[in-house]
Amino acid sequence: MSPALRARATAWLSQALSFGREGAPPLVYAGLDLRDRPDHPDRRFDLTVRQGTTVAVVGDEASGVGDLGAYALGLRQPISGRVEVFGAPVGAMQYYDLLLFRRRIGYHPLGDGLLQNLALRDNVALPLRFASDHRLAEVDGRVGELMDSFRLRSVATLRPAQANEEDRRRAALARAVALDPDLVVLEAPFDGLTGRAAQDILEKVSRRDDGSRRAVFVTAQDLVPSVRRLVDRVVKVVDGAAVEEAP
Amino acid sequence: MTAVVAAIGRSGARRLSVLGGLARFVIRTAVAAGRLTRAGRWVTVRVLINQIRFTALQAIGLVTFLAAILSFLVISQTVRQLGRVGATDLIGTVIVVAVIRELGPLLTALIVVSRSGTAIAAEMATNRVLGEVTALEAMGIDPYIYLVLPRMLGATASVAALMIVFDAVALASGYFGAALSGMAFQRYVNIVLTTMSAKDVWLTLAKGVVFGGAVALFPSYHGLAVKAGPTEIPQAVTRGVVATIVAIFVSSAVFVVVAAG
Repeated sequence: MSPALRARATAWLSQALSFGREGAPPLVYAGLDLRDRPDHPDRRFDLTVRQGTTVAVVGDEASGVGDLGAYALGLRQPISGRVEVFGAPVGAMQYYDLLLFRRRIGYHPLGDGLLQNLALRDNVALPLRFASDHRLAEVDGRVGELMDSFRLRSVATLRPAQANEEDRRRAALARAVALDPDLVVLEAPFDGLTGRAAQDILEKVSRRDDGSRRAVFVTAQDLVPSVRRLVDRVVKVVDGAAVEEAP
Repeated sequence: MTAVVAAIGRSGARRLSVLGGLARFVIRTAVAAGRLTRAGRWVTVRVLINQIRFTALQAIGLVTFLAAILSFLVISQTVRQLGRVGATDLIGTVIVVAVIRELGPLLTALIVVSRSGTAIAAEMATNRVLGEVTALEAMGIDPYIYLVLPRMLGATASVAALMIVFDAVALASGYFGAALSGMAFQRYVNIVLTTMSAKDVWLTLAKGVVFGGAVALFPSYHGLAVKAGPTEIPQAVTRGVVATIVAIFVSSAVFVVVAAG
């Protein structure tokens, strides 16, 4: 990203930054009821994702792992407990504030969340066009960088339904990091991918444009060993509570 | 008796709730217009141009054909009947009031509803079912900016433009209908120009804006209201189109009252 483009992005994001607290951890779950064991309501989920770390939470489908990403984005509210992103209580924000705030967070929803009537390239360009104040030429330049970085150049004009699963996943992840966010939330990002592809994608996603590490939060049913090696912490949801596992 | 009153109350409450939802929908779309980003403005213009291409340009043939046939039939029959009582001068009132002011806007709006209203409702409902609306919100993009605003603007501009096309073709074709009964071109032009006023032009344009807005509003609203799954998509399309047709006829009646006042 060029210095001018970075300056523009920073200015634009300063509004979104104003919602958070300086120095606060990127993501905190405190006292969440994941409804795994309603007969044991005292089992609560607590987790803090620190700046520059990659944390994965695994658990089966009924464990409530699948809801954690939506809680972080404020797309869904937990039954009890609180979620803080950069120190801001997500559940208390109004709709338009949330929209602005989400520009600090890259998100890869379950599946891929790509818009079916847009080419992969236009999907990647979406947040730059509608959630940033870049000029069109700057958007095109940034999209070009992302297409090269995520090896999407040859399939840029394909619609999601025409592309294979790996390319769709790469496009969705390129879109998630398009605004160079401080935190990326990935829901089951490696399902259906080879270990090597998953490793390649995670390495790309965990680096910011200036080379520093960003906070990455991954939810999945399980992780392959090659991906586990790249993760700082693996937490398993057992009976609604977080249990540390060896990465 | 209580059950009857309760049923009426429930139905009334449901309708009021839909009206409230529609009002919120319009306000959110207006708010969205003020939140467009720099690049978003250009992309919205591009989407708007595409929308006008699908809604207006591709419908011109059908609108022209129907305007020509309708006007020819109405005028040729009316001139013949009025000629029997020596009142052919009233042909101006028929063409301006019946064809230009009432039937033209109604038919144009109905054509656009059948072509584009169905498409808008189906597209919005599909966006909702596939989780694309949530994906937009998760990226910090207001779905009203990306999905609703270009369609509202596109449908409004398209319906207004198509009404002008309809009126122009209807006037031309009306002459051929009148000529069949021996009316001279100059007389036809004089009668039409004498009857037509600036009010007719403004009314047509105002109807274009109102009907065009309705063509995008109701299908968008019902399309985005889908929750459960793909089986709701055809229901949303039906609800959107029926609501649009009702709204067009009701607002047409309101225009008559306003114009008479």
